[in-house]
Amino acid sequence: MDLPLILTTTILLTLATLSTPLILPLLSDNLKNTPATITSAVKTSFLISLIPMTIYIHSATESLVLLHEWKFIMGFKIPISLKMDFYSLTFFPIALFVSWSILQFASWYMASDPYITKFFTYLLLFLIAMLTLIIANNLFVLFIGWEGVGIMSFLLISWWHGRAEANTAALQAVLYNRIGDIGLILCMAWLACTMNTWELQQLTSPNPIPTPPLLGLVLAAAGKSAQFGLHPWLPAAMEGPTPVSALLHSSTMVVAGIFLLIRTQPLFSNNQTVLTLCLCLGAISTLFAATCALTQNDIKKIIAFSTSSQLGLMMVTIGLNLPHLAFLHISTHAFFKAMLFLCSGSIIHNLNGEQDIRKMGGLQKMLPTTTACFTIGNFALMGTPFLAGFYSKDQIIENLNTSSLNTWALVLTLLATTFTAVYTTRMIVYVQTGHTRIRPLTPMNENNPAITSPLTRLALGSITAGFLITSFIPPMETPPTTMPTSIKLTALIITLSGIILALEIAKASQIPILPKQNSFRNFSIFSGHYNPLVHRLSTTALLSGSQNIASHLTDHSWYKTLGPEGLANLQQMAAKTATTFHSGSIKAYLGSFALSTLIIILSLH
Amino acid sequence: MNPQANLIFITSLLLGTTITISSNHWVTAWAGLEINTLAILPLISKHHHPRAIEAATKYFLTQATASALILFSSTINAWATGQWDITQMSHPTACLILTTAIAMKLGLAPFHFWFPEVMQGSPLITGLLLSTIMKLPPIALLFMTSPSLDPTPLTTMAILSVALGGWMGLNQTQTRKILAFSSISHLGWMTIILVHNPNLTLLNFYLYSIMTTALFLTLNTTKALNLSTLMTTWAKSPALNAALLLTLLSLAGLPPLTGFLPKWLIIQELTKQDMAPAAIAISLSSLLGLFFYLRLAYCATITLPPHTTNHTKQWRINKPVSPLIAILTTMSVLLLPITPMILAAL
Repeated sequence: MDLPLILTTTILLTLATLSTPLILPLLSDNLKNTPATITSAVKTSFLISLIPMTIYIHSATESLVLLHEWKFIMGFKIPISLKMDFYSLTFFPIALFVSWSILQFASWYMASDPYITKFFTYLLLFLIAMLTLIIANNLFVLFIGWEGVGIMSFLLISWWHGRAEANTAALQAVLYNRIGDIGLILCMAWLACTMNTWELQQLTSPNPIPTPPLLGLVLAAAGKSAQFGLHPWLPAAMEGPTPVSALLHSSTMVVAGIFLLIRTQPLFSNNQTVLTLCLCLGAISTLFAATCALTQNDIKKIIAFSTSSQLGLMMVTIGLNLPHLAFLHISTHAFFKAMLFLCSGSIIHNLNGEQDIRKMGGLQKMLPTTTACFTIGNFALMGTPFLAGFYSKDQIIENLNTSSLNTWALVLTLLATTFTAVYTTRMIVYVQTGHTRIRPLTPMNENNPAITSPLTRLALGSITAGFLITSFIPPMETPPTTMPTSIKLTALIITLSGIILALEIAKASQIPILPKQNSFRNFSIFSGHYNPLVHRLSTTALLSGSQNIASHLTDHSWYKTLGPEGLANLQQMAAKTATTFHSGSIKAYLGSFALSTLIIILSLH
Repeated sequence: MNPQANLIFITSLLLGTTITISSNHWVTAWAGLEINTLAILPLISKHHHPRAIEAATKYFLTQATASALILFSSTINAWATGQWDITQMSHPTACLILTTAIAMKLGLAPFHFWFPEVMQGSPLITGLLLSTIMKLPPIALLFMTSPSLDPTPLTTMAILSVALGGWMGLNQTQTRKILAFSSISHLGWMTIILVHNPNLTLLNFYLYSIMTTALFLTLNTTKALNLSTLMTTWAKSPALNAALLLTLLSLAGLPPLTGFLPKWLIIQELTKQDMAPAAIAISLSSLLGLFFYLRLAYCATITLPPHTTNHTKQWRINKPVSPLIAILTTMSVLLLPITPMILAAL
């Protein structure tokens, strides 16, 4: 059996199955889309994509296919080529599995929406763009996918476009992504000029690669994956419907930035500047997001900040020069984060739109399946041993502890891990335990299989994914082999201490008295004062600077005042002054004549 | 005015001018100047209104002062050298005093203050006489004494005149005052080249007289005494207004019109005499004059977007226009091509 051929064929079949709901309606009027057809298309694609993954696990077969070459400049080839290696073959089933579950859930969640088919079509388009990004062999196809996911993110965040905050959030997302795109285009331009290629295979060079293009890559990742500095769009993106948050802003789109860095890792694996930058940026991002999540009251915002924190952790892994470990974390994170969002979606719909955790409580008895999956997801997020998150998160912290790199990044990451445990426990306590604080007449019903089967499927994935992936795929980088026991238990100890701390604080704050304001609490509540400062200051500075330079300096000063208008003003002043001397009084005239005569004679004698 | 009185005044005017031009002795020159002064006084105050009387008074006071200073300077020279010959002015102080006196007579800055008010107080034709004939004797005296004069005060006064004439003319709406300041500017041009090439002074004066006579006579046909009146003259004499545009631009010194000729030759002579900064200063200052000439031209040939007019050309005109305007306008517009012949005749 020609395994590479089967591999390639099945991957292309996956993509073709996914595009069926887009193409078939164009061919005939009878073949209209429905949510059910789109969901089954994704399910079929998932099942087909298991085949190439199995082939890879069996024999580590990789493949590369060139579909077409776009010849528009002589001497610079832009092939449309697809790369089926470990990353794409593993991520395809995971992404399709998660998307299938989300689409099935969305058929219940968006059932009352009149344009539900358009919603599903948008999600499908997003999925195709994301998979294009994953399977790209060169930066050109990757860029097509990159921009595609950006546009679909915009359209989906502003799904309820009658709401002003949704439009603002969508614009914010596009703007921040665009700032990152500048970095990606810079790097692509440099590559095209220096190495004359955009292929990933050719991304090595004997000369040391200059830092600016690599910084461009880091900028692109920071924009897409919401690192600190370009992060405000991710919490704001929670304006979109919950399936959108689950698919885009937890599992797939936001990891595109990290994925770019994973793909281009050969470029900067020797560049210590870029690695240190990734390490520190990731550490700051993870701690900042975890701090902001501590005092949030909106359930979706807490999960959004936790996504941001985990993305920071992935960036830290990139900074440790461990791309495979980062990819492992991406894969496991997809499962439990999507599940957390779906659980929150179920809770929100069942509480008739309530998103504030202070108005939930005691849901453990009322929504048992949802809250059970919620607990599993939260424990997986915290890195509970032998759930999915443990396999990737614990390895990352072990590597961080045993490396000889930046201690400060280590401290920040450990602190962020503790904070993760704290806010996760807080969320569990507020949502599931204690006396209920919901409105009196709230009919709740989670007995719909459209809710429970996605959740249970993803719960299964959250429990077993880590174990399965690490069992079947050998590690590509050498894991740390020996370390003292205390170092080995660090992650566990700090997580446990976080849980205990949170439980103590939760017990102490059963009495609903508004706590006193202090600056640390305010820092967390206002998410670091970042939005008002940066949004207003940077735009005002840019606009006023440009007005000063372009309008005041160039137009008014150089062209007008130092030229015609200034000259005209001078002449006007001279004319007015001269007119006042011509008073009409002959005495003054004759006096001036006498004076002038005297001056002439005295000075020139 | 009474025709016999008018005859006596005009004859005295011509007599005084002729006496001064053709004299060799300082006292006869002074006598001619005094005859001129006295003869024009009744012409200025012809209409007996207070402004005219005031203009006549101012004119008399300044001109009398100037004549006295001329006599004084010639006396100093006679005392020092023992002779009264106009062309033999060798004493430096006498030359300086003579320079200031003639500046006062002509109306060069800073001795020009009387000139606009006198022009404003007198009728248009008297203003014409003041600008042309009354300037001829002092310029003739300058021409005759030019070898012995100090260039420094002359150049300073010249540039100051051109600049001041420009700045003051910008702020005027009365045409007679505008023409007074234009006269002051042109006098500046005439004075600056006096010590280097006196023939150019005379050439400038002749061409200026032609142009300004054309201008005065054109304004006289419609009695346009301020800019507002000038804007209504298109209905009374449309062709003449179009010619007025060209005359004004010629006064401003725009090639290819006649007024360019003296300016061009003066700048050339100054540059040859290594006085380029002075040439630059005087040229830039005369740009100010260009602005108010253009303003006059704009008001006369008032260029508006196409619209319905509220009245057509008047078919009744008050008096026949003399053919002199046509001849003078033609000369003030078209003399530039015969520059070599003019230069040869100098």
